[in-house]
Order: sequence, then structure tokens, then C-alpha cells
Amino acid sequence: MGDTILLRFTLERFVGMVITMALVSVMVFLIMELPPGDYADRYAFRKYSGTGVNVTEADIEAIRRDLGLDKPMVLRYFDWIGGIVLHWDFGQAFAFETSVTKVIGDKVWLTAGILFATLLLTYIVSIPIGIFAAVRRGSAVDYGLTVFSYLGLALPNFLLALVMLYFANRWFGADIGGLFSAQYRDAPWSAAKVWDMMKHLWLPAVVLAWSAVAYQIQTVRATMSDELNKLSVTAARARGVPETKLLIKYPARLAINPVVSTIGFDVNRIFSELPIVAVVLGLTELGELLLKAYLDLDMNVAGAILLMLTFAIVFMNFFSDLLLAWLDPRIKLGA
Amino acid sequence: MPTMLSVENLSISFRTDEGVITPVQGVTFAVEAGRTLGLVGESGSGKSISTKALMQLLPGTAMLGENTRMTYTDKGGKDIALGHLKHGSRELRRIRGGEIGMIFQEPMASFSPVYTIGNQMMEAIMLHRGLKKREAREFAVEMLDKVGISNAAARIDQYPHELSGGMRQRAMIALTLSAGPALLIADEPTTALDVTIQAQVLDLMRDLQRELGMGMIFITHDLGVIAQIADDVAVMYLGTIVERGPAREVIRNPQHPYTQGLLDAIPSVEHLHDRLKPVPGDIPSPTNRPTGCPFHTRCAQAIPGICDAQEPVETTPMPGRAVRCWLHSDKDRSAA
Repeated sequence: MGDTILLRFTLERFVGMVITMALVSVMVFLIMELPPGDYADRYAFRKYSGTGVNVTEADIEAIRRDLGLDKPMVLRYFDWIGGIVLHWDFGQAFAFETSVTKVIGDKVWLTAGILFATLLLTYIVSIPIGIFAAVRRGSAVDYGLTVFSYLGLALPNFLLALVMLYFANRWFGADIGGLFSAQYRDAPWSAAKVWDMMKHLWLPAVVLAWSAVAYQIQTVRATMSDELNKLSVTAARARGVPETKLLIKYPARLAINPVVSTIGFDVNRIFSELPIVAVVLGLTELGELLLKAYLDLDMNVAGAILLMLTFAIVFMNFFSDLLLAWLDPRIKLGA
Repeated sequence: MPTMLSVENLSISFRTDEGVITPVQGVTFAVEAGRTLGLVGESGSGKSISTKALMQLLPGTAMLGENTRMTYTDKGGKDIALGHLKHGSRELRRIRGGEIGMIFQEPMASFSPVYTIGNQMMEAIMLHRGLKKREAREFAVEMLDKVGISNAAARIDQYPHELSGGMRQRAMIALTLSAGPALLIADEPTTALDVTIQAQVLDLMRDLQRELGMGMIFITHDLGVIAQIADDVAVMYLGTIVERGPAREVIRNPQHPYTQGLLDAIPSVEHLHDRLKPVPGDIPSPTNRPTGCPFHTRCAQAIPGICDAQEPVETTPMPGRAVRCWLHSDKDRSAA
């Protein structure tokens, strides 16, 4: 019986995710359409500006027909999304005179790498520390962590990135910015390259995780303190459950609920902070490319990146829903 | 019957921001194997924390008095000094659950909402009976059956929120008893239940106690419940026991004005047209304990100059009874 409930819950949330993604894709498409003029105008401008050629209205109309831009918006939306879903084809990146897929290339996976490294670091650090602070409430350690938390929340992370870059440079050598050492930057993927990436990945992960760690420590500490006072915890203690097992099984499982339910927010926050941190640390990832695409009015590239980032957020929300349902079986019943 | 638990001079103090408060002062009682001691009193009278002290479940700010002695004789006949067992020690974990079981007022809140009834029962059974998972499950089903839960084999996989209040408390009783305690502490186990369900649960607890030969401490604010379940009774007021004795005798012939007040506050079918007589006034805060007899501020029979000045000592107005009241201490008063 419990299994069918879980299955139905998963299915419902999955359908919800797909609908959200469809709506998001429409919104992204509309955003791509927003800037004045269209692809054909800009294509012509880029191709012929400075060459002295006089571009006529008819030339632009020809380009427009060539690219299929004369079709109604609804059809163009389906062309665009169909290409993405069926062929992983995001269209032309006119600023680069190549396909968007090529421009984005590895950057998708590098961004995903930074994202997951940051999330993992955030939770691995903040959850145990938050639990520990709650168990030792009022101790010197607890106060120390609170001070650290406020520091973490107050410090802007581009500043932190600069400071960390400086110290990382002094201690680990000059080659710490970016995601790869010079000899691997353009080398094909290999185990050595992955290892090299790992050695660089921790720095952006620490910078991006910093404020989230500070915030989540306080969240876990607060909910854990609440949970510790619950009668069910006293009752389990009165049954002789060993203390460490008791803390993990009873209060901690519920104390991480608010953390799990905000995974989507964390992803969102990481994506918003990533471009600035990327500029400071010299990373080449999607956020940095997104800024450039906006400056160039390269809407196909911008659209593709926006779509990927929002899909990542929607997917992580789906994942967080499933994880929550597993943590707290009462949630499935309410679904 | 041999005494299995003897508590002498139990005092509990807490360090607070407003200084040290002592909500329990000089409490003495004993529990015999197979018998039920009822602890009665209003909220804040120190009933619950007295029993929590036995299990060392009080927060870190609590301190036991110097003269406090709590001796528990375990199933093997060994005397154990409670209150000073090392935290995390095997001995303390064996006492908690395996020797002394505890049932609380809120059955919903005493279960963790995120594990099935069976999961929480099997945990206790594996801890205290050393059974493997499968045997533990069988035993848990047996226990659920024993407390009158129908279709126990299916109920065991349900979550606490899927059971009704009465069923939940039955399941909590099954859970607590499945660890095999020799002494059961029931902290207002029926207060949160409907009256009809309350009677069923009381019957169940009585039957199980007889069958298993357990000693029991039954905490309640309701002397009517005491009449149904307790052999002996101790009436607590503001952290001290003001009267104790066999339950029937105390109810039939209460000696302390507070006990009389509590009995007057029970509705009865014969006097339905009368208004209930509450005990006048509120229980004072432990931070602001009255001088002399703690009850004198609410006592109609208080003797000015005596009750508000000196604390009464415990006297024996008749064999087997004890009361802490100046009205019964004429002889002692001149000596004090």
C-alpha cells in the first residue's frame, strides 16, 4: 500500500515538473523575442557593418525567409523547442557564427560540476555543524559558530573570492584561478584533466557555499533545537536508545527538512552569484557566457542558457520534493 | 511484597536566570512489586519531574539534593543507585526501558511521526530483548495483539498518524511493555483521551500489570482515576508530598485540607445540581514559594502565625497514613 502511494506521489510531482518546464520554456522564448529588432536585422548588421555594403529592406527580408523567421511566433516556438528536445539543437549563435550547442559545449558540464560541488560542500559542512551546535546549545562552540555564521552572511562573496584568490595564490602557487591548469585547458578529457579540475573546483565551491553554509547552519540549529525538545525524543531516550543513534534517527532526520526543501533556492542563489564569482576567479562557465550573450544581444545563446539554468532549478525542486517525501512520510499523505 | 523502588528525600533544583529554584523538596515514596502508587497533584506540583529524575531525563541544569537517595532493585535482585549513573553508560540504557518503562500523556507526540509503529517497537525489542529483526517483528505483533489492537500484523506497518488516539496509546503501552520493564511509570496516560476510551485503557493497564507482575507509578491530577487504578496514593503539592497512604482510605477519609479540596472538585452523579467546588486560588510559582506550609495561601483552615511561619513535618494520624499538616501535629507543634 505504501509503495503505490509513493509511486503516485512521484508521478504527480513528475508531471508537475514537466508542466513547469513547458511553461518556463514559453517564458524563455518570449524573453528571447523581447529585444527590439530580430535575428535577421542583427545578422545583417553584423555581416555587413563596416564593409560599405548598403543593406536594403529586401536583403533583410531574404535573410528572414532563409532563417524561417517570417513564420508566426507559435510555429517558431515549436521549431525552437522541438530542435532542443529532439536533437539537442539550440539554434545559431550569430555572435560566434556557429551553433549554440558548440558555444555552450563543455561549459554545461563545468557549470553542473561547480553547482554540485557547491551544494555538496554546503550540506556536508552545514548539517553536521548545525546539529552539533543545537546539541551543545549555549556552549562556547555554539557561540563561536553563531559569530562565524553572521560573518558568513555579512561578507559579499565576490570580496571573499578576491581574498581567497590572494591566499590560494600565496599558498598553492600562482595557477589557482580558472578551472584548469594551463597545460590542460585545451587538452582532451582524461583522468588527469578531471583531477586537475578537482584541484581547481574547491575554490569556487568554497566561495559559493560560504554564505549558504552560514545560513543553513542557523536553520539546522534552530529546527534541531526544536526537535530535541519533542516528547518523542524524550520517549526514545526513556526507552534506552543510545544517544548518537537517537540523535540521528529522531531529531536530525526532521531537522534537515527545511534544508532539503530549500535545495531549489540554493541552486537559484548559486546561479545568481556564479557570474560575478566567475569573473573574479576567471572561470569559464554558463553564467559568465550568459552575461556576454546579453551584452551581445545574442538571444539564442542567452535563451539556451536561461532554459538550462531554470530546468536545473525545476529539476532540483522535483528532487527535493522526493527527498522530503522520503524523510517525512506524512507529506505523501497530503499530496 | 518486596520494595522495588525506594525514593528518599528527593529534591530537585534548577539553575535559572532568576536564581536557583527547587520545584521538588524532600519527596519520599516507595513502590512495591505488583502494586500501583498513584502520584496526584495539580500541574506544576512536581509529579512528572520527580519520575523523570529516576530515569535521569532531566535537563543539564537540574541538580539533585545532597540527601537524595533513590534505590532501585533490578530484575536480578541487584540494588542500583539511580540519579548518578554515567550518561551513555550501558547500565543507564538498560534501566531506561528495560527495567523502568515510561508512558507519556500525549500518545501522538511520544511516537516519532516519521517511523512506523513497528519500526519503533522493534528498535526497543532488539535493544532490550536481544532478538533479531524477524523475531522482534513477531514479538511486536504479539504485543500489539495483547493490548487489543485488531489486525496487528497490518497495523504494525502503519504510521502513528494513521491510528486513532486510543489506539495510539494502546500501541505506546505495547511499545513500552515490549522492552520488558519491571516498573512502569505512566505519566497521565489517559488525560488526553475520551472518557470511554480512558476507562478501556485503564482496564487494560490494570490487567497487564497483574499479568506481568509489574510495579507501577501512575501520575494523574484526577483522584477519580486513582480510585480505579492505584493501591497507594501520594498527594503532591508544590513539590512536597502532603499526604500518603492506601488509596481507598485516603479517598474515603482524607486528612489534608488539600486532598479534601481535590475530592470536592470531582463531579459526582449524586450532586449534579451543585456547582463544582474548585480548590480556591492558583498554585504558587516555584520561584515564589510561600513560607511555612506551602498550601497555607489557599487553605481555609490555615492557622495564622503557625501555618505561614513554619513548615509542618510529616505525622502519622492513624496507622499506615502520613500527613504533613499543622492541623494534625498538635503534639509536634510545641516540640518543633
